[in-house]
Amino acid sequence: MILQILRRMVQASVLLVMVGIALLSLYAHYRSARVIDDDQLMNGMRGETMTKLIHPYIDSLDDPNTFLNGNKGTLWSMKFLGVSLTDPLAAAEMLATSKRVHWPLMASIVMPVLLAVLLGRVFCSWICPGYVLFELTTKFRKVLRFAEIQPGEVTFSHRNKYIFLIVGLAMAAVCSAPLFALIYPPVVISRIVHAWIFGTALSGMLILLGVMVAVELFVSPRWWCRTICPGGALYGLLGWARPVRIKLRKSMCTGCMDCIPVCEAGINPITQSASIECDNCGVCISHCDDQALYFTIGLPGQQNSQPKKKTRVIAKAAAVLMVGMIPLFAPSQAQAHHVLGLPHYSYKENYPQRPTLEYPATTGPYDVLMTSYPGIPVPGEPANIAMYIKNRETKQVYTEPITICVLQTYTFGDNTIILPSTTRTPFDNEYKVQVTMPIDGEYIVEISMPVEGRIEVIPFLMVVGQPTAMASVVIAGSFGVVFVFVVIRAIQKKRQRRRWAGTHVGKQPDSFAAGKLVTLGEKIL
Amino acid sequence: MANVDRRQFVKQSAAIGITIGGSAYVSGLMGTASTAKASPLRPPGALAEDDFLSTCIRCMRCVDACPNHALVSTPGNAPGGHAGTPTMKPRKAACMLCLSEEGDYLKCTEVCPSGALQLIEKTREDIKEKVTIGVAEIDFDLCYSYNNWSCGACFRACPLAGEAMTIGAWERPTIHPEACVGCGCCERSCIRYPHAIRVKAVTT
Repeated sequence: MILQILRRMVQASVLLVMVGIALLSLYAHYRSARVIDDDQLMNGMRGETMTKLIHPYIDSLDDPNTFLNGNKGTLWSMKFLGVSLTDPLAAAEMLATSKRVHWPLMASIVMPVLLAVLLGRVFCSWICPGYVLFELTTKFRKVLRFAEIQPGEVTFSHRNKYIFLIVGLAMAAVCSAPLFALIYPPVVISRIVHAWIFGTALSGMLILLGVMVAVELFVSPRWWCRTICPGGALYGLLGWARPVRIKLRKSMCTGCMDCIPVCEAGINPITQSASIECDNCGVCISHCDDQALYFTIGLPGQQNSQPKKKTRVIAKAAAVLMVGMIPLFAPSQAQAHHVLGLPHYSYKENYPQRPTLEYPATTGPYDVLMTSYPGIPVPGEPANIAMYIKNRETKQVYTEPITICVLQTYTFGDNTIILPSTTRTPFDNEYKVQVTMPIDGEYIVEISMPVEGRIEVIPFLMVVGQPTAMASVVIAGSFGVVFVFVVIRAIQKKRQRRRWAGTHVGKQPDSFAAGKLVTLGEKIL
Repeated sequence: MANVDRRQFVKQSAAIGITIGGSAYVSGLMGTASTAKASPLRPPGALAEDDFLSTCIRCMRCVDACPNHALVSTPGNAPGGHAGTPTMKPRKAACMLCLSEEGDYLKCTEVCPSGALQLIEKTREDIKEKVTIGVAEIDFDLCYSYNNWSCGACFRACPLAGEAMTIGAWERPTIHPEACVGCGCCERSCIRYPHAIRVKAVTT
């Protein structure tokens, strides 16, 4: 058990490092902008963490800049406490794409490679955050079974991951662009954490992770780690001759086979613990009641001593402390536009520039550029909208009068007119109009301009404030409906089984099947 | 027996095929770079675009290291294998060339593990010689100083003022492309909407 607590602690500290490095990087940015005591910027949980937790700590250091510079990056390649560490898969892929050797990169993979050579696939079972996620997903399958949904048990060949590693590297070499860097779960999770803390776009990463989790949940348990992961394949190959292995004491094994279903790598620890599939997680050791499985270091037959009870207590306390500390690092929701707008660090004095949003369009030979100030207009406050139209070929500015109108659009129902069609002539080569958008929502700024003898109408879609997206409401609603159906179905199934068991128990008391069903029914109800 | 083996083979190959196809789609390898409008601005010291794309390992260290938050990671599924690479939008935050930071090197180049960003010393000579983010371009139809007003905001923001940019009567700016490093401070400081001065990537 101590082994599993230790493993969870290592996993938790890796998550902590991942979040911590992103937070420290964001803090370093604020520190450079000298706005760390800005109340307006530093509100919210993320700001509180930075001002109350990180700032006093960094200030108490002798050399804060070295510390801040020494913690950068994601799990793909990071500087941790000044040490440069890179995933061997990243180095392999970079060799494939660029076909050149960069020695500093090679130096930074030495430690991970040594770890893999000595300890085997411990990166998977002890460090990788994707592994943690998929372990949780597998636990969640029990909930599915309780809800009377039978999750799929499709299995694929473990060999596939080696093929995927080779094919992926070959593809990277042909395309000269990396493939694994964008789909490898630890990196994807690391990026999501980074984007969450920095308040930048998550893009498709969450969807990718969602698809992986869905496959794990409904189709094939531990599909990624066992059969696809190129990183796992590489670590497995590196750990071919690892001295630290799990061994079986044949004399003590009773053959209960408890270790087979719990194995994280999906192998048989009794016969296959020497294979490169074994990721040295030690779950089988914890589950073995007969102490038949154990870790060996170096020579086979050697026995490692059990940790003392005192260490066990300390380990438990540390684990509880670490889990308790996680909420402290949970940042608040994205405050992206504040972050981008306020520190006018790129200029010595404060000019009132705010980032403007540009909406480009083309018609005929003309490039039309709509800008709005502020970039995302505030409902109820006037927004300045400007149109700049230029001929792409002759570089001449368009100066004919154009008409502009503003409409509010809805997912259902007709548009309402906010600004009726008005004809405008350019001022300083721009067509300007001031509009007040009354509420949060989606608006269309529509211009009509004569181009080569006919009237061209160009609509620009604008989002004002933070409207509730119809799509999210529909998705949430349908999930709710599905959930209700699943609950009803589960209740019906359980009731049916209980009734069936009830009617059959009296008639056929000796029947093995009926008896089994009754006990099953009792267990569930 | 042979039948079962064939079925196994088909199943496994289908699984691998779907995984590879899906991952290639997700990482944007299927898209072509031509769909991207203009070539993106790369951090200081970046290799030529093709070399940069093949050398950068998309670890986001430079994004973390940039003191001015100027570097951002290109979102996933961007075409032409651009996903995850660092880029900058000077209108949001410009490259400060780390001038007000401690240290002897530009921070993004110092932290890069893969050599996609070559190390640049923080001296005027090294910066002028090796930083080639892009070159600023003025739109004379928009610039206030060329349209009966007087402004000069870009000149005051330029870290290489006098070399990369000179200023004439009514504070009319002139860019000297051979000295301009493309840091984008002028674009950031331009008070016109849309901005009259823009950094364009250098295409060699």
